[in-house]
Amino acid sequence: MKKRWRKIKLLLVSVTLLLAGCWDQRELEERAYVIAIGLEKAGDKEEDKGQVKVTYLIANPEVGTQASGGASDEPPQETLTIPASDFINSRNIANVVIGKEISYDLLRTILVSEELARDQHFLRLIYNANKDREVKRSTQLIISKESASEYFKNNKPTLETRPHKFYELMLQRGIETGLIPNSEIRSFFRITEADASLFTAAYTSSEQKPDYENRDDEFIAGELPVSGEINKTQFIGSAVFKEGQMIGKLTGEETRLTGLLRLEQDVTDILTTLPDPGDGKYRISVRINKYKKNKVDMDLKSFPPKINVVVPMRIEVLSDPSLTNYGGSEKQRNKLRNFFTKKFEEKFNGLVQKSQDEFKGDLFGWSIYARKKFKTIKEYNDFNWMESFPKAEIDIKADISFGEFGRQPRVPKMYEVKD
Amino acid sequence: MESSNRKIGIREYMAIAFLTVGTKLSDDTPTLLVSETLTAGWIAALLTGIISIVPVLLMIKVLSVHKGKNFYEVLIFLFGKLIGNLIAMVLLLIAFSALIIDSAIYTDIIDTMYFTTTPAIVIYGVLMLVCTFGAKKGLEQIGSVAWLLLFYIKITLFIVLLYAWQGGRPSFIFPLWGGGKGQIIKAGITKVSLFADFLYFGMIAPLVTSFKSFKKGTWIALAVVTIELTAAVMAYTILLDYTTLRLINYPFHEAIRNINIGFLTNVEMLFFPFWLLATFIRFSFYLYIVTMLFGFIFKIKQFSYVLPVVATLVVFIGIAPEAPTFTIFQLRETLLTIVSPVYIGVPCLMWITSKIKGGTENEKKMEKN
Repeated sequence: MKKRWRKIKLLLVSVTLLLAGCWDQRELEERAYVIAIGLEKAGDKEEDKGQVKVTYLIANPEVGTQASGGASDEPPQETLTIPASDFINSRNIANVVIGKEISYDLLRTILVSEELARDQHFLRLIYNANKDREVKRSTQLIISKESASEYFKNNKPTLETRPHKFYELMLQRGIETGLIPNSEIRSFFRITEADASLFTAAYTSSEQKPDYENRDDEFIAGELPVSGEINKTQFIGSAVFKEGQMIGKLTGEETRLTGLLRLEQDVTDILTTLPDPGDGKYRISVRINKYKKNKVDMDLKSFPPKINVVVPMRIEVLSDPSLTNYGGSEKQRNKLRNFFTKKFEEKFNGLVQKSQDEFKGDLFGWSIYARKKFKTIKEYNDFNWMESFPKAEIDIKADISFGEFGRQPRVPKMYEVKD
Repeated sequence: MESSNRKIGIREYMAIAFLTVGTKLSDDTPTLLVSETLTAGWIAALLTGIISIVPVLLMIKVLSVHKGKNFYEVLIFLFGKLIGNLIAMVLLLIAFSALIIDSAIYTDIIDTMYFTTTPAIVIYGVLMLVCTFGAKKGLEQIGSVAWLLLFYIKITLFIVLLYAWQGGRPSFIFPLWGGGKGQIIKAGITKVSLFADFLYFGMIAPLVTSFKSFKKGTWIALAVVTIELTAAVMAYTILLDYTTLRLINYPFHEAIRNINIGFLTNVEMLFFPFWLLATFIRFSFYLYIVTMLFGFIFKIKQFSYVLPVVATLVVFIGIAPEAPTFTIFQLRETLLTIVSPVYIGVPCLMWITSKIKGGTENEKKMEKN
């Protein structure tokens, strides 16, 4: 008898313990998984000041799974836009039209329309991302040219229909090629809280207004003339944030240069062109590889502060449109090296100038490096990097070494072919 | 458990020490260290460990003269019944408050970071139920479970720290002196009671197989835990930078939310169970120590019967504060500051008394050890 009682007691206790874990249990089909949140201004009227329109991009978990055999009648995604005060209470408002609990567990992207990003209330709104328990700090913050609801409506990927994969791949590849910056929301908060440098977020647009003047990577999202049967959404360039508010934009090229000047090595695969010194009409395709960290020297004691940066780059020359055979001789190589060095230094210093004059802040995150020069946070705060940086004398040097010269090292001389 | 005659080995003892003190790096301790010292939180952590050498050394010296006696018995021997019990009461009060505040924090972590819709009282109740069960099983069992799990818990911790190290930027630990040298020393001294657990390990000194093992285990544990805490604070600073770190309460849990293993995202639930197991062991041990001390003071031989009462009390007091994330954070900081002088003072007092009382004979014994 006593033994049986013990058994029953044990059973009861273990059942209580185990079932307590089910309190937060939710079935998969009871949840709507938001992949991206879009935020835009509700309107310009005075009473709309605190309001936003929240757009949800909700994935259909059945699409592309083995269970449905890869084919499902239901579309891969659905979007809805609702007015709300923020994207926390909008979860319940969305339930007016969706019968499932809104979950941010798989949220990877927060898309903000440029108009809202430029608003001074933006920071208040975006801080909710830290308050919500499901939003991760690795969520990407991206800025769209048009309103967020418009963006999601236009954006209809043809091959990569599963939305989480689309955003993941677009951003990942964009970061690799350096055309967009890595804009995790935690960096946004960190940089804004430190109040020393500028934050850059990826810039995107689903509308095309082609600009035929520019070349290669000198575009910003929406300007590249793309034709063909493909989704017209573009990810290129960056939005610049100062003190939690958007203040300007960078083109794809400037974003790449920024990536090269920053201390971390995110950028791994830059293919671009540079003018051919042999013949001004042509452009040489090159692959740029920043193989080690920049060398940064700072003298912050003097006034104005002096900053010297050396950017080590390994360049692979992939084309030779003037048929000069640059790789062939030491002399030609040096000529090319000097030419490229000059070009890069011009571009780097131009961008630094823009950062100092136009944005009045440090695009390159060098404040982190400057911290080493101080003993305490107080000294560092007194120096005030944000104020001091625009006054600094900055000199950038490019340290170029050559890698491969394409698969076939030599090309025939033009006259040999023509003859 | 009735003052069980079976003893625990050095492995079990060390495992308990690693888990009770080491788990602190996964709650709000790093934030407490960083809040004033900013980037130099890790130096403060190192400093607390170094300062702790003094009370731990003195405690071991005193205990070495009275081999076979636990901390309480030594207290009574040295100070007499009245003062001895008074000091023991203070220590009991501290241990009990620490148990309440720390378990409330862990409940808050589980509630805010993992099970957001489950009522706190249910989490608290289940947590204490498990820990009471563990404590009831006795020190021996706590020790073997701790030893059994130690490896897995530390491996997951190591992965998290490794990730934080490589995911962050080493330059974030500069400027080296952070909030200033004064602040570092202040934090190091006021937060030294982070290691006050070592004082309570004196309670179980006679339960370790030999005094030599106890001594060796204590020193190894102190060294390892100090290094662990220092490395953890450093890793969090590198991952999150001080600006973010001082705004968040539970950096360990923020860190594991950022980890992606290849294509696997949302892997925090992989680390959570191990952390939970460490938590169970920690509070089982605390409960054990509190009831043991209680039992000794009030002469209750079968002190395991007090366990359920203590656990229930803990739940009901711990659940009381409003806005636990803030209130308890503040309470803990206050408690740590109050306990620090006690933690340093009591062993000093014991050592001095022991010197005066024992005279030359004791001194010789002390020299030998």
